[in-house]
Amino acid sequence: MADPISDPIGFSLEIMTSPLFFKVAVFPGLTSIGIIIALFIWLDRKITARVQLRVGPLYASPLGGVLQSFADLIKFAFKELFIPRNADKFFFVAAPVLALIGGAGLVGLIPFTPEWQISNLELGLPAFLAFVTLSPMLILLAGWSANSKYPFIGGLRSLFQQTAYEIPLWLSAIGVVMMAGTMNLIGIVQAQSKPWVIFLGLSIPGWYIIPQALGALLFFITATAEMERIPFDLPEAEPEIIMGWQAEYPGFLFMSAAGASFVRLYAFSALFSVLYLGGWMGPAPVPALLWTAIKIIIVSSLIILLRATFPRVRIDQLLRAGWTYLLGLAFLNIVITYLLVVGPRI
Amino acid sequence: MPDIAFFGFAAVTVLGAILALESRDLVYGAVSLGVSFLGVASLFFLLDAAYIGVFQIAVYIGAVVILILFTVMLVGPAKGEGPTEFRRTALFIGILVAMMLGVGGALASPSAFSTNQPCTPECDLAQFSQSLLVTYSVQLAVLSLVFAAAVIGALTLAKSERGTA
Repeated sequence: MADPISDPIGFSLEIMTSPLFFKVAVFPGLTSIGIIIALFIWLDRKITARVQLRVGPLYASPLGGVLQSFADLIKFAFKELFIPRNADKFFFVAAPVLALIGGAGLVGLIPFTPEWQISNLELGLPAFLAFVTLSPMLILLAGWSANSKYPFIGGLRSLFQQTAYEIPLWLSAIGVVMMAGTMNLIGIVQAQSKPWVIFLGLSIPGWYIIPQALGALLFFITATAEMERIPFDLPEAEPEIIMGWQAEYPGFLFMSAAGASFVRLYAFSALFSVLYLGGWMGPAPVPALLWTAIKIIIVSSLIILLRATFPRVRIDQLLRAGWTYLLGLAFLNIVITYLLVVGPRI
Repeated sequence: MPDIAFFGFAAVTVLGAILALESRDLVYGAVSLGVSFLGVASLFFLLDAAYIGVFQIAVYIGAVVILILFTVMLVGPAKGEGPTEFRRTALFIGILVAMMLGVGGALASPSAFSTNQPCTPECDLAQFSQSLLVTYSVQLAVLSLVFAAAVIGALTLAKSERGTA
């Protein structure tokens, strides 16, 4: 049993000034996640608008409307929480909030630099992917609890899609584990530190995007599907099932549901940069943390560009692609990686 | 401190299991089963068996509970339909089995889990894979039948509910 605390105020101060508390509360934890999500929403709207020759958010602040999503956040906070009469109240409220919390938990596993990481698990990569598997359950519950047609269709679509794409996601990540020999995310980045010499002393960074090109492409596609972003946004499909599982959500709960998908965009972009782009590695004058940030912004901008460019796929095309082509290519990637890892030893 | 954590997770596991049997709505029952599995995973983490804990979450919650939920929602009773019989007997049997397993596990633990090569968190991944895929490959293949069991169980559950309703 724990000893009674003799000096409660001093004890609380000690906790609040500890590095772990700062990490969880400020960076890379809760406060920074909130601000970064608002900036991601702005980036999403702005990039999509520029691709489509529109202006996008403009008026809120001189910097191209960067404060627009903060204004939206305040607006959502003051809206009425309207819960449909026949809805299952518990899951209707709990599911989007839990999805948001679960998404924020994923960020805690990401090493932004070796120092800036909340939880350094030996099994960081499978832990991340395991927590991702919880989300289809929450989305299905969210869709079911509204007791309405379109949300339920959206929830079932999400379940089909996410369970079909989880398997290629895990299999494509196995290639990285085989090359690095560890599942620890810091270890995976450190394994990419040795540059490859091509010829005449010319070298390129040893990032896994080069030997794992197929795996990286598969991971990118399946992660986009897991995030339910266009072209894989069938569970939300606005013209077909009017926002799908989010259709009945009011103010704050809609913000949680929409925020959850952007947290996942953030977490998956960070994971992609850790697995394939060498994390915080980069030439010296730029600090390590900034390299991580640059890579995350590049990956997430690519995902956002897909949204501005591609039409939505149909559910049968999506599932066929997931269970046949992507699964087959993921196994092919494992075979290629096996030859790359074991080949030189023979 | 581990004692408090252990009792907390054990309470979550047992309460989740009881709710899974006792809840009026099958959807709530399935979610309670997921909470119970999460408690089991936490207990594995507490035992430094992080690998099993992570895959407990991925396989049992990520796949088995979702299969059950999916089946219940597609072919199960409508929302708000009444509960089925035999709940008290099931609860009694469940508690009995849990107690037997708990006592058995407690008796067996000091002798059964003392190995010469404890796999610490710094355990070599290659060595671990070797033991999993070479030494215990048959057991692993048998374990993978859990998905088949989950599908059959979920179908039976949903079908019998509909039959009595």
